[in-house]
Formats: sequence, C-alpha cells, structure tokens
Amino acid sequence: MAHPERIEPSIMHELATQVSDSRNSLWTDIRDNGLMVLNSSSFPSKKIEEWKFINLKPVSRTDFVHIEDAGTLPAIDIEKYFLPESDRSRLVFINGSYHEKYSSIGGLGKGVTVGNLADYSKDDHVKEYLNKLVNYENDVFSAYNSFMFEDGAFIHLEKEAKAEAPIQILNLYTDSSQAFVANPRMLVVAEEDSDVTIIEDHIGLGENRYMTIPVSEVKVKQRAHIHHVRIQRDSIDAFHFSRPIAYVEKNSEYHSYTITLGGKITRNEPRVIQEAEEVDFTLDGLVLIDGDQVADTHSVMDHRFSFAESHQLHKVVVNGNAHSIFNGKIFVRRDAQKIDSFQENRNLLLSRDGLVNTKPQLEIFADDVLCSHGATIGQLDPEEVFYLQSRGMTEEKAKEVLTYAFALETIENVKVESVHKLLIQEVYRYTKANSNPKVLA
Amino acid sequence: MLELKDLHAEVEGEGIEILKGVNLTVTKGEIHAIMGPNGSGKSTLAKVVAGHPEYEVTKGDILFNGESILELDPDERAHAGVFLAFQYPVEVPGVTNNTLLRESYNTIAASRGREEMDPLEFDDYIREKLDLVEMNPDFLERSVNAGFSGGEKKRNEIFQMAVLQPTLSLLDETDSGLDIDALKIVSQGINKLHGDDDAVVLITHYQRLLNYIVPDQVHVMIGGRIVKTGGKELALELEERGYDWLESLATVNGEAK
Ligand SMILES: Nc1ncnc2c1ncn2[C@@H]1O[C@H](COP(=O)(O)OP(=O)(O)OP(=O)(O)O)[C@@H](O)[C@H]1O
Ligand SMILES: [Mg+2]
Repeated sequence: MAHPERIEPSIMHELATQVSDSRNSLWTDIRDNGLMVLNSSSFPSKKIEEWKFINLKPVSRTDFVHIEDAGTLPAIDIEKYFLPESDRSRLVFINGSYHEKYSSIGGLGKGVTVGNLADYSKDDHVKEYLNKLVNYENDVFSAYNSFMFEDGAFIHLEKEAKAEAPIQILNLYTDSSQAFVANPRMLVVAEEDSDVTIIEDHIGLGENRYMTIPVSEVKVKQRAHIHHVRIQRDSIDAFHFSRPIAYVEKNSEYHSYTITLGGKITRNEPRVIQEAEEVDFTLDGLVLIDGDQVADTHSVMDHRFSFAESHQLHKVVVNGNAHSIFNGKIFVRRDAQKIDSFQENRNLLLSRDGLVNTKPQLEIFADDVLCSHGATIGQLDPEEVFYLQSRGMTEEKAKEVLTYAFALETIENVKVESVHKLLIQEVYRYTKANSNPKVLA
Repeated sequence: MLELKDLHAEVEGEGIEILKGVNLTVTKGEIHAIMGPNGSGKSTLAKVVAGHPEYEVTKGDILFNGESILELDPDERAHAGVFLAFQYPVEVPGVTNNTLLRESYNTIAASRGREEMDPLEFDDYIREKLDLVEMNPDFLERSVNAGFSGGEKKRNEIFQMAVLQPTLSLLDETDSGLDIDALKIVSQGINKLHGDDDAVVLITHYQRLLNYIVPDQVHVMIGGRIVKTGGKELALELEERGYDWLESLATVNGEAK
C-alpha cells in the first residue's frame, strides 16, 4: 500500500468526505473497508499501465452532487422496460435505490430468495459473502461503491433450486439537472446444483450526466449454473464503471454476456476466478459505440485448477470518433493443466476517426494448455458489400446487413427470448443509424 | 438487350487499363459464350457490367435495353435485371442464404412493381428453385457461401439466379469446380431458366459446357478485347488449336494488347 502523503486527493475520496459521518449504515464494516481503500488509493491516470488508453478527465472534472441535490426527475413510463418473462421475478432500482412498488418477486419457485440486500443484512449468506468476493486492487471505484451502497440485489438459490423464471435486475437512472453517482450492488449465491438466469439491465432515462458503479459478486457452487446477461444502455453522457466478479466451483458453469451500448465512458472489468477443477465459463461481450463514446473492457479469466473450458468472444463496432479498448487477461496457474481457453477480440471499424486498442494478454504457467487467442481490426469487406449489392441490396442496406451479421454472433447465446429480441432490435437500431454515408466503403 | 460500345475500363485510381475497347451485342433470347486465355479480362468485363466500384469506365458505353447504365449503382443494375454469377463467390458469414434471398427478392420485386411475397409464399417459391438445381434445403439456413465447397458455391450462384429471375445473366466460369453430375444438373437448370425474354452470357474455359448449353455465338477475348466471334463450332476449334493463332488479332491496330 502506498503512503498516504504520496496519494493525490482523489475525486472519489472527496466525494466520500462529502458524506456526513453520522450517516447510519447497515454495512459499517464494509463501509470502513471501502473508506480505507479510498484513503490509500489514488484516482487512476494515464500514467498507470492499466489505464493508459483512457482519459478520465471528464470524470474527475465533473462536479458530482449528492443525489438529493441533483434535481432528479421522476422515473415515468418504466413498465416498458419490464421483461415479460420476469413478470414475477423483478427487482427495480432507481439511481441505486430499491423500489419495492415496481419490483415483483415470488414467481421463482421453491428455494429461491430474491430481494433487497438491505432487507437481508442479517442473512448468513450475506454475512459470509458480501464484499468478501469483490477483489480489485486499489480500486477507488469498487471502494466507493462499498462505502456508499445501501440497497442492492440479493439472489440466493438453495441446493438444487432452479429459478423458474429469469430474474431481471432493472437499474434505472433518472434525468437530472446535476450529475450524481449511483452505486448498484448485487450478490448472487448459487448453492450446489442450482440454476438461474439473471438479466441485469442498466438504463439511462435521460441524456444527463451521472456515474454508475455497479459492483456484483457472484458465487457459483458445485454443479450450479448461472446465465448472466448484462445490458448497458446508460445515458449518452453517463460514466459507467462496472466490477462484476464471479467465483466458479467444481463442475459449475457461469456464462456471462455483456452488451455495451450507452454511456460516454465505460470501463467494464469482469473477472472470473476458478476455484476448483472442471468448470466451464464464458465472458462474451458486444460493444456498439459511436460519436465520442469510449468503451474499455479489462477482463480477467483466472484458471487456477485443471480442466477448465473458457470462452471469450469480444466483438466491437466502432463508428464516429468512438474509441474501444480491450485488455483480456488470461491466467493459467502452474498446476492448472488441461485448460481449453478461447479468446478473440474482433473489431469492426466503420469510420476513419474511430480508434481501437486491443491487447490480449496471456500469462500461462502450466504446460498442458490449449489457448487460442486473437485480435482483429477490420472494415467492412468491399467485396462482400459488392456481392450483396449485386443481389439488389442498396449499399446502405448491404453495410447494415453486414454490420448486423457481425454483431449478431455474440448475442445468439442469450437464451431469454424477449432479451434476445430486444438485443436484436438494439443491434438493428445501431446498424440502421450507422449505415449512412459517414461509413467508409 | 446488352450492347457494349468500345468499352474501356481500368482499375480505379491505378490507371491500369484492362478492357481496351470491347464491342458486344447480346439480343433477347440469346446465349453467348466468352472464352479466352487467363487474364484476358473476361471477369473484369462481367464485373464492369455489374457495376463493380473497383473499375472505372474511361471510354465507351454499356447499354442495357437501349439505355446507358454507367451511372447506375450495382443494386440498381440488379433491379434492372442484371445478374452476375461470380467466378469466386464471396463468403458472407452471418448472413444466411435465406435472409439474403428474401431481402434481394423483395427489393427487386418492389423495384419492378411486382408484389412482395410473404414468408410462407416465399418458402414455397424457394423450394421449387432448390429443386431446379437439386440443392439441399439445409443450405438455406447456412451463411452465404461460408464453408461451402467450390462446387456448392457455384451451384448456389445458379440457385440465386433462379430465385431472382434476372433478364441478363453473366455466368463467370460457373462450370469450373462442378463435378460431372453437378455440371449436368446446373446446365439443365440454366436451360430451364432461359427463355425468349432473357439472355445469358457464359464465360468458360471449356467447350464441354457448351455441349449442355448451346450458345448462339462464341466470342474470344484476348488482351481486353473481343478479337473473334463465331458460332458454336468456334469453341471446338479453340479446343483443338488453343489461342496462339488468334494472338496476332489482339494487336490489330498496332495497339499493345
Ligand atoms: N483490381 C485489380 N488490380 C490490378 N489488376 C487487376 C485488377 N483486376 C483485374 N486485374 C488484372 O486484369 C487482368 C484481367 O483479369 P480478369 O480477372 O478479368 O481475367 P480473366 O480473363 O477473367 O482470367 P481467368 O480466365 O483467369 O479468370 C488480369 O491481368 C488481372 O490481374
Ligand atoms: Mg475470370
């Protein structure tokens, strides 16, 4: 840990000190812990290797105010974001706070607990795991979340419990006159042989500036299965720093799909950590950005034991002046043999001024390992465009179809029908908006 | 139907002239064959007619049904009735054959004032066309040409032709890559599709194809020009004598070939 005097006062630290110390918190220990990290960690800058491609000045220069002073507008017409499949398995958070009246639970069958973390502060599982799984070194963002959060999603599955419907965790951010910070939190504990699908949606209702720092901790015990879809549709001026971390036990499966559409600056740091042999996990991503959006994914797939199968397909479409960054770390520890790991980052650059930085990063200390990895940056193939045109499609349509086809692959595995449809629509909307003449041939 | 008048074309922006004054007239109801040595410009000719942006027409004209199509985009030419079966069909991963064909059929239909088909009608229609080239319906749900064998790609091109019903079909070496049986099936398909109101231009290296699809005229292209035209017996003569004896014709005006 660095000495306090060498630490530049961080914006997160300042924000934290604005909060009155008398604030009552359910989470005293977690809060103290968060504050400790905030006290000793500096705000990231380009001088740090892990942050060298991303400019966080827009974040540090923003005057964030307390949510009560932000002039937030009410959230209206939000029913349209409810998934039909999750009619009775939905938690709604507005600017990070739980809203019972929009939530609906009880349609999940036996052995499944879903609710607001604040209502489960005495729960044994919450005590055992909350804030114990999150592990981001000197990270002011997750620390700030730990210091600040009150509400959050809690999902627990007993042994052999199968959630009868997908659980929707709907995070809404309202329009506001000033910038605020939201701290969504989630804890998922899936006991042996359980099975659940989670749709985590982040939606900005306005075009305002806010910062959201979703932290989620996921524990997948033996033979349990989790299908986790994360959709980021933040406001076009929002900052999104997410830290989803999953621990996978023996014979378990964790499949996550992250779709990044909104936000001005997004930094997504998904991590999967293997805790025993024979696991299967996925960390796929789809990023569709335009204008001056920046989307940065720094992921970790940590293979610590033998017999793991892991898959990461990260697809990105960049238009306008947008900027995509990908750093995918794959660790294979010394005793982890028979690892079959796939990683690919494919980037489709539609504009002259778009920018892509990509860095697959393999650190392999075992020898019986099959790791395929690669990164490509390309434009639409003019021969493909001509082929489709020669079959009667306009140039615009041809480009749209090709972009759409490129993006679609990553969402094919999303198994909740309405979400799959919604994502297809989102891809379609993006390609439609981006097949105009600013697209290069 | 198609008239090429002193057509010159070069690679866009590079000044490499490939077509050096092609003259060709194809009338409705006819079948023409174009033969010629490798690199003589046959595929370029077909692509220029289809409107490939890589080539620039520097001189001459392309008339289709009496009107110049030089200013038309490739899709507009397709709408007008031009179809190119590629020598090397492009793989388009992620776009299924079915999607492509439905999209294409409907845009072309709309531009010709024909009714669009609903998915069920289209399904029936497309099955009929599959039968014509004896193609397995499984191919409909596969990405266009992705992972297709050489012969399957060629068959797929003719399948597309059958679905889109062009009035001018430029078939660039459709026969290469097809096995003996497939060649027969595909040729029969082409013959069935061809009628009094459309024309077919076959580009081929092999006289064999012309046993199945009998051309009204055979042209020899050398050095970016059509240097000789004859009946179907010209193909037999070429088979026997090769192209050497025609090389001198390529420099007839003292121009380099
Ligand atoms: N984009 C291009 N850039 C440079 N040269 C080109 C380009 N396209 C075609 N050419 C050249 O033009 C000439 C004619 O090519 P084309 O493909 O039309 O020949 P072809 O008659 O179809 O040959 P083959 O019988 O081998 O198919 C060749 O020398 C080829 O290399
Ligand atoms: Mg050729």
